[in-house]
Amino acid sequence: MSGALDRRRPPPVGSPRPIELPAFQRFDLDNGLRILVAESHKLPEVSLRLIVEAGAAGEPPERGGVGALTGRLLTEGAGERSALEMAAWLDRLGAAFSAGVGYDVATLSMHFLSDVTGGALDYLRSVVREPAFESDEVSRVRQERLDEIERNLDEPSVLADHRLIRTIYGDHRYGRPAGGERETVAKLDADAIRQFHGSRYSAAGAVLIVCGDVAGTALHDAVAERFGDWPGGTEEAASLGAPPDVEPGGPVLVDRPHSAQAEVRVGCTGLPYGGDDFFPATVANAILGGVFNSRINMNLREDKGWTYGARSSFHFRRGPGPFVISAAVESGAVSGAFREIQAEIRGLVERPPDEAELGLAKNALTLSLPRQFETPSLVTGKVATQQIYALPADYWETYVDRVDEVTRDQVVEVTRSRLEPESMTLLAVAAESDVRPALEELGEVRVESAEP
Amino acid sequence: MNASSSPRPGSAEVRFDFEERTLDNGLRVILHEDRSAPIVAVHLMYHVGSKDERAGRTGFAHLFEHLLFQGSEHVGHDEHFKLIQNAGGTLNGSTWFDRTNYYETLPSSHLDLALWLESDRMGFFAPSITQEKLDNQRAVVKNERLQSYENRPYGLAFETVLQLAYPEGHPYRHPTIGFMKDLDEATVENVHEFFDLYYGPNNAVLVLAGDIDTEDALARADRYFGEIPARPRPEPVAVPAPSLEGERRETIADRVHVPRVYLMYHAPSFNDPEFETADLLTHLLADGKSSRLHRELIYEKRIAGEVHAFIWPTESLGMFFVVATARPGVSAAALEEGVLESVAGLRGGRLDDDEVGGARNRARRALVGQLNSVGERADAFAHAAVLRGDPGYVNEAFPRYRGITRDDCASLAEGLLGSDGRMVLHVVPAE
Repeated sequence: MSGALDRRRPPPVGSPRPIELPAFQRFDLDNGLRILVAESHKLPEVSLRLIVEAGAAGEPPERGGVGALTGRLLTEGAGERSALEMAAWLDRLGAAFSAGVGYDVATLSMHFLSDVTGGALDYLRSVVREPAFESDEVSRVRQERLDEIERNLDEPSVLADHRLIRTIYGDHRYGRPAGGERETVAKLDADAIRQFHGSRYSAAGAVLIVCGDVAGTALHDAVAERFGDWPGGTEEAASLGAPPDVEPGGPVLVDRPHSAQAEVRVGCTGLPYGGDDFFPATVANAILGGVFNSRINMNLREDKGWTYGARSSFHFRRGPGPFVISAAVESGAVSGAFREIQAEIRGLVERPPDEAELGLAKNALTLSLPRQFETPSLVTGKVATQQIYALPADYWETYVDRVDEVTRDQVVEVTRSRLEPESMTLLAVAAESDVRPALEELGEVRVESAEP
Repeated sequence: MNASSSPRPGSAEVRFDFEERTLDNGLRVILHEDRSAPIVAVHLMYHVGSKDERAGRTGFAHLFEHLLFQGSEHVGHDEHFKLIQNAGGTLNGSTWFDRTNYYETLPSSHLDLALWLESDRMGFFAPSITQEKLDNQRAVVKNERLQSYENRPYGLAFETVLQLAYPEGHPYRHPTIGFMKDLDEATVENVHEFFDLYYGPNNAVLVLAGDIDTEDALARADRYFGEIPARPRPEPVAVPAPSLEGERRETIADRVHVPRVYLMYHAPSFNDPEFETADLLTHLLADGKSSRLHRELIYEKRIAGEVHAFIWPTESLGMFFVVATARPGVSAAALEEGVLESVAGLRGGRLDDDEVGGARNRARRALVGQLNSVGERADAFAHAAVLRGDPGYVNEAFPRYRGITRDDCASLAEGLLGSDGRMVLHVVPAE
């Protein structure tokens, strides 16, 4: 650190400390429940996630949304306690509980101070193993859910996401939001909920991930006491058929009168988590739209000034979730945005990244790893990903190497084979009067109403 | 866990060691060592926000936040993001009524990179600003305004709230994003003036939190920032207390399916000894399904779909919000009546000890959750140092919440949540 300061170039980098990922203890109970615990005594807090094979992909088609509604009803009366008594119990502990139901699994997450760990596990046991699903509560929560679906569609970005997946996937389960839609949710009753819970909430395939201010073996004992006799059932990972080949048509315009701006989406069927091409696709996405400095954002925001931000992502799931590019742009820029986005995808093949650009994308993914594991809830989230997608046990330990191995040719190849701009769906949520003439330049416009 | 192995509920403690030093040029530096992960948070907070903007120049502090990422004398136009991302770091900035902040979290081996970038834009920003950069970021900010306010359901409520709360000419009356017209009129000269006035080292606090050695990090901070000269201290803006007489109300229409009701009350500021108690009232009202508004409006009366309560941690005047969104078919008036009844329940001695104890536990858990990353801790230290003049507040907050009693809550609610000075906004579906 001696010598005069030279501000003309970035300072030299210090010697990096090696990445140390948290060490997990693993316990397998006889009924199939796996327990993974990492001790972290920095703060008196605990993050817990219980993963259950109860995601939306396993729903009967006519019961779309039953998983999400079941997740929401777990807390609304259980054992001897009413919904209000359950709420008071959790709130007195000061703990937070949420049931996140995606396409793949249901994840029950808790965050609490370590001085109430025993009470929090009692609560978890009750909601998982003895929810009441009384008809009155089911009707109430179903109505709350329907109201929420309606409110969410006031948000143009949500409306755009929903209409995009419907266009890409048609009748496939990925064509509807994981939480379901009005038509199917409205028909769900207590029997449907009980049946789904009875068949899906079991110890088989379930994983409890804990990180925080706990002792590993004591935690195991406490969990075994509460979940050791949770029936195992038969584990059957939900399987989905392959997505249909939807013929791309002209741009889809969801007419939302009086919109102040346009939400644009460009998308197609993507890839499953951890499958072939996973790492090349991850790096390609970082170059294209995954980080601030990606090509699409630099073009649409920093060059054109059309948007506050544009990004792309692969929604990796057990099946091939969508690849989506999103931006909210000024209404006058809609067709320009579509053109530029398509040009950037082609550009990744025509103008492959040089060493610096490829290196930046990889570094953004790998050097950020210590930050991505910083807090207990980040740690449990990362391990949940590894468990849900049955990734190798050393997945995170070898992640840096796997990313670093990706070559420029692989990036070009995965873009060429997986991301064809001409066959992607183009969709805008905007006022028809503002954008239709410009969209006509891109093909025959298919107009939909913003109302369901 | 059996009783013998568990700590006593309510016994959890939180404490973060730190040092505070001041460089010769007046830059305050706060150093917090936590070597558990090889990362460091660098957080630079300037004591300038939208309240310092003059009429006709709204949105400047926020426009600045954008321009300061566009390079400086030694840092190229698009280099700032590039260098941080290439190091595996994350970065952002934000603007509030009272302050603007710039921050990054990155591997600790790149601490100097962040110091170089932050010091360059503090000491060597002015020559780099061009009309082209201004035009580009002005367009980006206009799109941010469209996306975050104008095209978002209930998004314009915020501006109306400010107009209800503060009289014409009040420094808190305009939104941080600014008005389009003022953004259109911004010139490069205006940008220079604003920068010279507010972005000196003696109007800022630098926090370094994480994998550092305190003395070494201080020496590095001095190396990069020490040569930047102090500037005349800007005159603090007067923030007059608003009138608490009567009630003020407004109704606006929006592209939404159901009405939403906002109730606002002038409240203790972030500096006030009763700030935590006021915050605890928000937990009593709307944090958790057993909280008053959840239980009474969503579960029992079934007139609301969503309820929220929160307080703005402003430097001078606080604002207490209760926000409820109606179920379909419920009018704004009926919803307001229900909300007022629930709010009144906190007054007049109807709180019980268990209820307050639960709220305390939820507030303490939330606080730990907000302090578990070095970036969040740096943010907390910076806010405490800039807005309260005391970074040590970060360690006082946790025990303060623990000490709040039922009587504290009841008596504050009595004074705070009455009809005098109350503001009411209805957002209703258009047509």
